[in-house]
Amino acid sequence: MRIFRLELKRILKSRLTWTLLALALILSVLLAWLPTTYCYSSYTDKSGNEVNLTGLASIAYEKERQADASGIVTPERVREAVEIYQACLTSYGVTESYDLPEGVYEKEILPIAPLLHGVKEAFADPDTGMAPAIMEIDPARIDDYYSVCEARISSLMAMEQPGSPAAQREAMEMYQKVEKPFEVYPGMSSTILDYQNIMGFLVLLFCVVIAAPVFSADYQSGADDILRCTRHGRSKLAVSKLLAALFVSGAAFVICATSHILVVNCLFGWECTKTSVQMLYSIVTLAGMNIGELQLLFALAGLLSVLASVSFTLFLSSKCKTTVASLAAGLVFCIAPVVLSMTMPGNLSTWTCSILPASGTSIQASILYAITDFKFLNLGGLAVWTPYAMIGACIIEIPLFAFLAVRSYCGHTIR
Amino acid sequence: MELRIDHVSKEFKDKKAVNDISLELTPGVWGLLGANGAGKTTLMRIIAGIMHPTSGQVVYDGVPIQTLAERYRDVFGFLPQDFGFHPEFTVKDFLAYVAALKGLPAQQARRKIHKLLEQVSLADAADKKVAKLSGGMRRRAGIAQALLNDPEVLILDEPTGGLDPGERVRFRNLLSEFAHDRIVLISTHIVPDVEYIATCHAIIKGGKLLATGTTEELTKLVDGKVWNCTVPAESVPEYENKLQITNLRNENDGSVSIRYLSEQPCNAVSTAATPRLEDLYLWMFPESSGENDRRYH
Repeated sequence: MRIFRLELKRILKSRLTWTLLALALILSVLLAWLPTTYCYSSYTDKSGNEVNLTGLASIAYEKERQADASGIVTPERVREAVEIYQACLTSYGVTESYDLPEGVYEKEILPIAPLLHGVKEAFADPDTGMAPAIMEIDPARIDDYYSVCEARISSLMAMEQPGSPAAQREAMEMYQKVEKPFEVYPGMSSTILDYQNIMGFLVLLFCVVIAAPVFSADYQSGADDILRCTRHGRSKLAVSKLLAALFVSGAAFVICATSHILVVNCLFGWECTKTSVQMLYSIVTLAGMNIGELQLLFALAGLLSVLASVSFTLFLSSKCKTTVASLAAGLVFCIAPVVLSMTMPGNLSTWTCSILPASGTSIQASILYAITDFKFLNLGGLAVWTPYAMIGACIIEIPLFAFLAVRSYCGHTIR
Repeated sequence: MELRIDHVSKEFKDKKAVNDISLELTPGVWGLLGANGAGKTTLMRIIAGIMHPTSGQVVYDGVPIQTLAERYRDVFGFLPQDFGFHPEFTVKDFLAYVAALKGLPAQQARRKIHKLLEQVSLADAADKKVAKLSGGMRRRAGIAQALLNDPEVLILDEPTGGLDPGERVRFRNLLSEFAHDRIVLISTHIVPDVEYIATCHAIIKGGKLLATGTTEELTKLVDGKVWNCTVPAESVPEYENKLQITNLRNENDGSVSIRYLSEQPCNAVSTAATPRLEDLYLWMFPESSGENDRRYH
């Protein structure tokens, strides 16, 4: 415990550590606030003047306008919203809302827009996947809205995973377990979670920078020659170094993620977190949870990903002779999922991005996008939903790379 | 108490750094002499257990050090030739960190650190960051960390590098005091540093052990090979060319006194000098005095 405390002190005494931790916290708060700057609304006031709103004022305005749409998304309410939409567009003789005269959308459609989310997708053509215009949907069919959604996941999975009946079956079972009817509380957009993703990725990078020199700096400076000759200078020191780095990284991520989520929810409204994931992403998203739970799950998966990446970086650090080498190797593996997700062919990319330690918080290939996607890893007759694979991989990698790092450090000799 | 180096060899890709060295170290101060690149540091790292020999083993009190592992490190102190530490750590932090790793209880560690800082004259620099220390101060901090656990076996690789003459004397006295009933091995190529305090010396060259013994025993090897004479100043270049001169001193009358190594005196006025350890060292490492090859007359 004393060695752990001293090791913790060693890490926290570094100016670089404090700079990175402070920067991570500032960025976490900044990235929580940034999505508010993209909110924009406009309306015409009673005097006929156009009023433009941005930021929190825009959020408050839209929430007020859509207040009636809040609550449980029953088929009746969806049908009513579709009927209002169709009547409005018919009355103006248009087939798409963007053809409506100025101000009409804000007045007629905006208040019911949250309930219309996913309707087109639910009624997409089972063979082509093409979504119809809302005007083409027969409102009577909405009475059985959630059965339509279940039929949609079936046809979608047949298209997404044509060669894997196991994946199709698994997806169906998962979607059937999703609590219905959904709930919607307007005010948030999926951009908020994209920013949580960026926050996680930046904290991951900072943690890797902090962890990269843990072993290699001692090799490089020659301090290792002294430490290794002491009673506890091998496995105990290695374990203490490892635990201290994991503790600092974990604590940094928890503080940053908590601050980020708190600020986001305070800015956009806590009630928004009760919105079902399906009302913000695809209507057939397989995860049975609301936005608040998604934020927490994403943060938890991010934490596991950061710990797995730090554990892996420590292993690299125990192998590299210089801090530059360990830092470069650590950062390469941090951005690997981003690059691989863009360059590798489908199935290989899914496998690789599910296994790499940094995948949980990686840009474009993170667990957030895996949760809102329909990808499965197929192994024989087994189909594993990629978010489960990502979390499972991290849970295995944390102790695995920690063990390998300790083993590598203990076995390190000067060649 | 005995530390036995048993037919130890270490081969690197392109060279044999240590070549079948066997040596029995008993309590007392041992000087490990050799020129740069002679294999001293490699041998010390093997003794420290941080480098595996290609063949042979190091045995402490009859048990290989690899088997003793933690028990060996418990009685072991090591100062490497070159070391750095985390720049934000102060000298006190650094020593506290090493003390914890050496298993010293916190209170005992505090007392020991205080005492050692006094002994190595670093008390005033206790709160100074390691990165800000001068070379000599860093060396003294390194010596202090090696002594933290009162080791039975103390290995110091070039401990006096960067120390000023006063510090050198203090270090020698500290070590003489400390060495009672312990094995202390000091590697150096600065012969006077060990000449007075080492009870025995081991001389290595090209990875091979050339000689071992006390100062008296070793200097006997160059008995009759060390000469003094006085020559005119203008003929010094000529003498330098044909002799291995170990010392030159200008005299008041314009002549120059030279001390040189040779099998035979170079002239009739040369007188035999009492050999010192440095003479032996220079005899064995002629390149250290600028000679490429020994000249025999």
